[in-house]
Amino acid sequence: MTNIATWARVKSPWVLHFNSGACNGCDIEIVALLTPKYDVERFGIKLEPSPRHADVLLTTGCVTQQCAERLKRIYEQMPQPKFVVAIGACACSGGVFAGNYNVVGGVDKVIPVNAYIPGCPPRPEAIIDGVVKLLNSLQPPKPAKKEEKKDVKQ
Amino acid sequence: MIDYLWLIFRVLVFPGFTFLLFFTMFCDWIERKVEARMQNRMGPSFTGPRGLFQPLADFIKLLTKEEITPTESKKNFFRFAPILALSVLVFALCFLPIDGTSVIPNVSFGGDLIFVMALVSVANFMLFLAGWSSANPYSSIGAARVLTQFLGYDIPLLMLALAPAFLAGSLTLATIVSSQWVPFAVLAPWAFVLFIITMQAELEKDPFDVPHAESEVVAGHETEYSGGKLAFLKLARDVQIVFGASLITVLFLGGANGPVFFGFPEFWGTLWFVLKVLVIIVISEYITVLFARLRIDQVVKANWRIVLPLSVLSLILTISLAVWIYPLV
Repeated sequence: MTNIATWARVKSPWVLHFNSGACNGCDIEIVALLTPKYDVERFGIKLEPSPRHADVLLTTGCVTQQCAERLKRIYEQMPQPKFVVAIGACACSGGVFAGNYNVVGGVDKVIPVNAYIPGCPPRPEAIIDGVVKLLNSLQPPKPAKKEEKKDVKQ
Repeated sequence: MIDYLWLIFRVLVFPGFTFLLFFTMFCDWIERKVEARMQNRMGPSFTGPRGLFQPLADFIKLLTKEEITPTESKKNFFRFAPILALSVLVFALCFLPIDGTSVIPNVSFGGDLIFVMALVSVANFMLFLAGWSSANPYSSIGAARVLTQFLGYDIPLLMLALAPAFLAGSLTLATIVSSQWVPFAVLAPWAFVLFIITMQAELEKDPFDVPHAESEVVAGHETEYSGGKLAFLKLARDVQIVFGASLITVLFLGGANGPVFFGFPEFWGTLWFVLKVLVIIVISEYITVLFARLRIDQVVKANWRIVLPLSVLSLILTISLAVWIYPLV
């Protein structure tokens, strides 16, 4: 039974996109994911309008003081189990804005983050890779081949 | 005893619940695939063979998620509206002759066309209640739009459904199907085209999908729903689309009529019915992808100023041409 639930969760992650004060660079890369070139609906990933429907929160931006409250509230509106992916250097650590007076700096200062995808902005391939790694971490570990193990260590 | 077992089998398994459930998910997959191909994408590809199990995965995932009930919502309506919408729609589908007869045998009665249309209105009203009870401004706007839209478009829909009923000389679905050895889509194409457009509005698909226009009202009446309730709401919506396509098939394409080559006529009947429904669903998905969304005022204007007069005209045309059409029926 749990196997079926995990299978369904891995195969149909619905995402919600939240911009917490980004320069729109990362957002455009996320849009590139959803549009024909990288079409992530292949993997069942769908952009949902409401946080109540979403499983994965894609967060971009350095989290301004104004946005922190809203980000937290959006996160709390999502039903369990939920995952957060921080996309871009700003979302990971605050980036070039770290230490600024109006910036909290990093999504993980406000809500728990499951996957960090650095880059300014990260390439769409990198975002797909990050989300796939996050989803694979849901599945119980399989006995991997030697080559794959090396890959994980790197 | 055998009769009862057969009845239970029909309701629960073959043309009934299980078959409809899987057929609905298959139609959902077809829709997503057609939409993706139209937009030069691949669509769901890696969940089962060619992404066939994608709707199933979505459904199971939603069932396993946490369910949130907003504190301010009307709890009972919020809980039961999605399930009621789904069950009313499945109940309405039970009256359509899917494999030659309706799902419950001999349940067909004079005027069940009107009854089925009334059930669709009830199901739409349940969707309205779902949005209204969830105490969210976006849900309320979405729900009000659902109500505005289906109240308006129900009238032309019923008027257009009268054309095949008039040609067949009966309001019984079974009689309408059996009198179509030439499909009514060929005999009265004007009513057929208008019916498809009106059904598009009734099913809240593009260009009439204002009730859940993402850029305006988040997810419309579905905004506050999560987990299992959302799963049933989405399933109800998919069943509604299958129901609309099935109704078009029954009224205009001759339902389960078609050549029987060998073996059971029920098998061939179901096959023809399913194929015709799929054709309608692909056509409706083409319309969905090709057209942009109208504004709510344009939707209402299109209803009262264009579709309603046209449907009256189409009924007049059907009646005045009946003298020449009757020999073909």
